[in-house]
Amino acid sequence: MTTPQHGSPLAAGLDRRSFLRTAVLGASAASLAPFAGAWSVEGAEKVLTIAVPNNPSTFDPVNAANHDAMVVSQTIFENLVEVDPDGTLRPQLAVAMPKVSADRRVYTFDLRDNISFQDGQKLTAEDVKYSFEYVLDPKNNALRRPLFNRISRVVVESPTRVRFELSEPYRPWLYYLTKYMGIFPKGSREKHGADYFKTTPIGVGTGPGVFVEWRQNDQVVLKKSPNYWRKGLPYWDRLVIRTIPEDSVRVAYLTTGNVDVISAPPPKDFVRLKGVSGIKGESKPTMGGWFFLMTNTKKAPFDDVNVRKAISHAIDRQTIAKRVYYDLVDPVAIPAPPRGWWFSKEANDLNDFDLEKARAYLKKSRHPNGFEFEMMIPSQPYLLDVKDAAVVIQSQLAKLNININTRILEQGVLLQQLRLGNHVSALQVWMSPGEPTYMIDLCYGKDNVFSKSSGYENPELLKAIRESYHETDEQALKPVFARMLRILAEDSPHIWMGFVHSTNLWRDSVKGFEVNQGLTMRVKDVDKA
Amino acid sequence: MLRFILRRMVFSVGVLLVVSAVIFLLTHLVPGSPAIIVLGADASSEQVREFERRYGLDRPLAVQYLAWLRDIVLHGDFGRSYISGQPISGEVARTFPVTLEIVILAFLFCVSVSLPLGIVSALYQGRLVDHVARIFAVIGVSVPGFWLGLMLIVYGAVHLRLFPPGGFIPWSAGLGPHLQSVVLPALALGVYYTAIISRMTRSSMIEVAAQDYIRTARAMGLSRRRVLQYALKNALIPVVSVSAMSVGYMFGWAIIIEQVFNIAGLSRALLSAIFQRDYYTVQAVVLVITTVFITANVAADVVYRLLDPKIRGVAA
Repeated sequence: MTTPQHGSPLAAGLDRRSFLRTAVLGASAASLAPFAGAWSVEGAEKVLTIAVPNNPSTFDPVNAANHDAMVVSQTIFENLVEVDPDGTLRPQLAVAMPKVSADRRVYTFDLRDNISFQDGQKLTAEDVKYSFEYVLDPKNNALRRPLFNRISRVVVESPTRVRFELSEPYRPWLYYLTKYMGIFPKGSREKHGADYFKTTPIGVGTGPGVFVEWRQNDQVVLKKSPNYWRKGLPYWDRLVIRTIPEDSVRVAYLTTGNVDVISAPPPKDFVRLKGVSGIKGESKPTMGGWFFLMTNTKKAPFDDVNVRKAISHAIDRQTIAKRVYYDLVDPVAIPAPPRGWWFSKEANDLNDFDLEKARAYLKKSRHPNGFEFEMMIPSQPYLLDVKDAAVVIQSQLAKLNININTRILEQGVLLQQLRLGNHVSALQVWMSPGEPTYMIDLCYGKDNVFSKSSGYENPELLKAIRESYHETDEQALKPVFARMLRILAEDSPHIWMGFVHSTNLWRDSVKGFEVNQGLTMRVKDVDKA
Repeated sequence: MLRFILRRMVFSVGVLLVVSAVIFLLTHLVPGSPAIIVLGADASSEQVREFERRYGLDRPLAVQYLAWLRDIVLHGDFGRSYISGQPISGEVARTFPVTLEIVILAFLFCVSVSLPLGIVSALYQGRLVDHVARIFAVIGVSVPGFWLGLMLIVYGAVHLRLFPPGGFIPWSAGLGPHLQSVVLPALALGVYYTAIISRMTRSSMIEVAAQDYIRTARAMGLSRRRVLQYALKNALIPVVSVSAMSVGYMFGWAIIIEQVFNIAGLSRALLSAIFQRDYYTVQAVVLVITTVFITANVAADVVYRLLDPKIRGVAA
């Protein structure tokens, strides 16, 4: 085939400009000229737009699973008491904190008298009784029933007074209300059906936001409730919760003013952006955001406590927290946040970074010359991406001739492996209500959902957990938790890395936003200039 | 021609059936129950079993497949999403036009830029314009779509503020905002195929230009413009085929583009459904995309036959 060097035969004598013109016209036609004007169309309404990385799967608080998406259910529904942004219990629909009987089995709440549901119906103690009885009825298969199943009876004493009788003392249950419970009108489940609460819960809450629409993978819209009991709130007329999975795109939405608040910014961007003009940012340590290596004590090499202790001592958590997560993780070697009242420095010192101790434990173990093991890592980050941390851990353990083979799995598959105890180890970040025993019981309790993730059983630990349920005073609880944490530090069924922070960035036009240690954004009191 | 189209359609239905079975099987063979994703990691085993019973996931695979196929064929019903509880047909109806519009715009961009670029490169082979076109093509083919998308967001939305950083603004919000919201995604989606098709047009044009009949046409004194028309018609045969197929491929690539630009289209629905193990949605969306692909394939064959008389006599 002959190919002329300088233009084909067709080019000879042809009008070059006409070709160029055609090409340019074609390109211009396709690259549509930008139009002036804003793209976010807002009327006179005050619209607060927030962005979260994950899609909701339900708006029904009694079946809630995703902590990001709980912003919707927590704006629609309310509870007798709530956990505030700092992790403290406060009255919500109740006038004050409950009166607790001497035997810790009876809780009596007085309700506020000025509360109506979003449909205008007045809230009474009958609605509270109905809501709890719905959750407790096994037929309704409420996901969060196990958290409340020690409630044996709910008694209406008067239209504004309700009494809860527990089968045994169980201190944690109040902490679970905000995330996993809500009060709805008597008869509403029968009237609307269960799917109504899952997808279109219009008018059935007492919160400031009334459900308007949900477009999957796109956004949820709530509007201001005219019947909200806290007069003057909310400040916004409409709340738009957008799902934006890509970190960098979520950040771009914020910097261009297309959203007002974002959750879970990437740590590196968070540090940079919170100093940018027009943007504010804050982080707050969570009380229940565990970052940990889930080792299986039923499988080699983690069936040897000396191996687990060696690894725990060999990991320099400070470096990981600083270099990988820009101080958005509080490094600790025990399952208690350093800022929690139940934190025990003594227990933490038993497990913290110390290479000499690591070498000594390894020498005592069945693998004195080192070993290798498999570490599962989720492909899609939830809360924090652990891939970089895994690489750092890999290099830190290499000093002891311990080699890690990483295996990336989709989180759903990984969780299944953990439930069944099929794993050797997995690096995970989990969020919980922040009550001290929730995760401990879940992973190390007897026959619990994730008991096999550790394969660990210790009657002394179970006794301490149970003991902690009976006491409500923090001072009295401290020695119980110190004992619990010491047992866990000595046995190291899992290897704890730290507690993650809850982080948010917002435009400076947003007023009154406060980062919630419970991760879920709180927008009830938020205003926008 | 009609018989040809009918025959291709019947064949396509067969392909769809096979694809549906493969999708169904592969989706269900992935380990991990969707219940864990929907109910959360701390759901009890009883709750997981109840979820699987409610959605019929505890039945044998063959029974599940036949029931799913029956609902689609007899009622046009793709089932309900585990996640939203809403009918998937509604979700497809809402998201398909979004993706279709972006793909069409990307295709228009692709054709309107690649053809002139390819032709000009062929005509002025070795000249500056050819080199520039080659550089564009190499960049267009090499640059990953997600990176290009992010760069377009950074410069087009964050720095220049000419476009929104993402999202799909409906027509009802105004023509200007709507078009602004689809320009960058269409550009990011179309660049790869613009590069491919421009190079293909160029090489095809060069090959045709060297054929005897072009030389003969010129020797017979036909005008330059007429000669170019003859050459173009022949050179475009393979290009048209690839262009039509690119529409199908773009539906697949749109997964990345819709994720980067945060567009709630069909492809993003697929990605989200995969992560959430929403089996029915995954199956429905893949089936729809397969149908688009097959349709694009048939369209390519039809255009091919229209352009090339030699093929018309050959049985399909």
